[in-house]
Amino acid sequence: MTAVGHGATNALTRRRRRGRFIRLGLISVFAVIALVPIGVVVINSVLPPGALVSGGITLMHGFTLADYRYVLDKTTALLYFRNSMIVAVSTAALTIIIGAPAGYALARGRGRDLSTYSLTLFLYQALPTVVFVVPLFLLFVPLHLDNTLQGLVIIYSAGSLPFGIWMLRSAFEAIPFVLEESARIDGCSLIGGFRRIVLPNSAPGLLSVGMFSFLLAWNDYLVADIMERTNSIYTLPIGLETFFEQYATNWGAVMALAVFMLVPPVLLFMVASRYFRIGGIGGSVVG
Amino acid sequence: MTETITRSAPAAGAPPVRQPQFVRRRRRPNSDAIQLRALATPSVIVLCLIGVYPIIYAVYQSLRSGSLISPGSFVGAANYKYVLTNGTFWASARFTLIFTVAAVVGSYVVGLALALTFQAGFPGARIIKPLLLLPWVVPVVVSMTSWSWLIGTGQGLADEFTHAIGLGDVGFLATPTAAVISVSVVKIWESFPFMLLVLGAAMETIDPTLYEAARVDGASWWGSTRHITLPLLRNVSFMTWILMAIFSVNDFPTVWLLTGGGPIGATQSLVVYAYEMVFQEFHTGQGIAIALFATLIAGGMAVGLFRFLNPGRRRVAP
Repeated sequence: MTAVGHGATNALTRRRRRGRFIRLGLISVFAVIALVPIGVVVINSVLPPGALVSGGITLMHGFTLADYRYVLDKTTALLYFRNSMIVAVSTAALTIIIGAPAGYALARGRGRDLSTYSLTLFLYQALPTVVFVVPLFLLFVPLHLDNTLQGLVIIYSAGSLPFGIWMLRSAFEAIPFVLEESARIDGCSLIGGFRRIVLPNSAPGLLSVGMFSFLLAWNDYLVADIMERTNSIYTLPIGLETFFEQYATNWGAVMALAVFMLVPPVLLFMVASRYFRIGGIGGSVVG
Repeated sequence: MTETITRSAPAAGAPPVRQPQFVRRRRRPNSDAIQLRALATPSVIVLCLIGVYPIIYAVYQSLRSGSLISPGSFVGAANYKYVLTNGTFWASARFTLIFTVAAVVGSYVVGLALALTFQAGFPGARIIKPLLLLPWVVPVVVSMTSWSWLIGTGQGLADEFTHAIGLGDVGFLATPTAAVISVSVVKIWESFPFMLLVLGAAMETIDPTLYEAARVDGASWWGSTRHITLPLLRNVSFMTWILMAIFSVNDFPTVWLLTGGGPIGATQSLVVYAYEMVFQEFHTGQGIAIALFATLIAGGMAVGLFRFLNPGRRRVAP
């Protein structure tokens, strides 16, 4: 009896272990296929100029940084990188500076006006960029904000504010109100409580909003396409496009610049998945 | 507190007089309310200028005949009439619908299957999961550059593959039907990590004792998935569908960078059509009218989702 039971448990464990390896196998196959479009960018960028990933002969070429050297020496890629970095970092900073107080107001305030504001933010977030971009272009031309990095920062900050405010609100709501209350009793003002108690305790929330707005600015194509008209203002997405406009597309150079463009988001994401729990919105509406 | 006095006095329109203690106590929450609203003001100003004003201006311009450089004249609903009686508009609406449904269903099925596999567990899951999120993290301009090379040049890896297995020239982006399928597949590729991320996070919050109880009762994996996981994911699933539908209706770069709306308009979505109308045909009013239709669709879905996520909150708020 015990022997039979023991044998059955063994079979069950074996079947479970086999299941784990079958899942590993299936997921690995899927991952390899799904990562091809990203892998070829990296591999193409380190193949000798003129050579591209193909069948079995890829590795015979050996690897070289010639495409990178070309992109750095012969093109204005560094300028595009610098522009993108300035715009994305400024957007992140501005979104936090303007968004954090608003998030605090929504977290601690009550009233019809604030809940209407919250709905408006949600709605604004969902509207297509195309509808904003034409009026903004017409507004920015007389203000000389078109074709400037400042103009881009203003639009991207406004674009990332709604979701940023929502994220910050839930970060602030997670901080016990008792802390502020006791500070108030000790003579701290409302704004003082926000500055000295709430802000220092919500670093993860502030950082994830900063990251979100950095990525929004870094990845945008449409606004940049409409607002940028001179090479000195181009950010990476538009700079990458100019690489296509040459007589014969130099795919090696395109891929090298694409690697420049994908490194910061991927680095940020690696840091993020290490330190924060992303995807929290899913957990909040289960059931 | 001094702030309370200085703030409440000018509001009352009277000279700053020291008020009795009980009045100050009563007025204190009110002062807090004002200060909280003051904190929100900078964001309100920015969003009015960069959000509300453009929308109002867009509506105004959709009623006029102007272009990007000339203001034009008032034409009433003529732009809307032109758009609604235009076959290209309905073709774009049809493609937008196909693209959106494919993106929602496709990315949900793939994302859910992956999330369930991760939930069941396997060696190396911690390393593989972040890698699978990369298609969502990599800038769309970069991934579309890569896809263009893979399936759009006729010499990419995908073409080589179809030759190797004897299919010959498929022309992934060359014929209308193939282009619609290709663009949808690329969109699913770009979107499934979002589903994996959100559904995976939701699964982690499910009470593990439910599964233990089911196991004790002899439930199979499929049994507990069907009777525990999927029912508990119903709300979050609905949320991801709406969000993905909004993302897809609004998606400009995926379609634009891959096909530019072609071939012969087969993959022209509403936002791509609006863009072309404004910036290539210079019919600003008509282009904006098209964009406003997309806005209405996305906005309607957003309001529906908001109501769904905040049931009854309106009644509770003072």
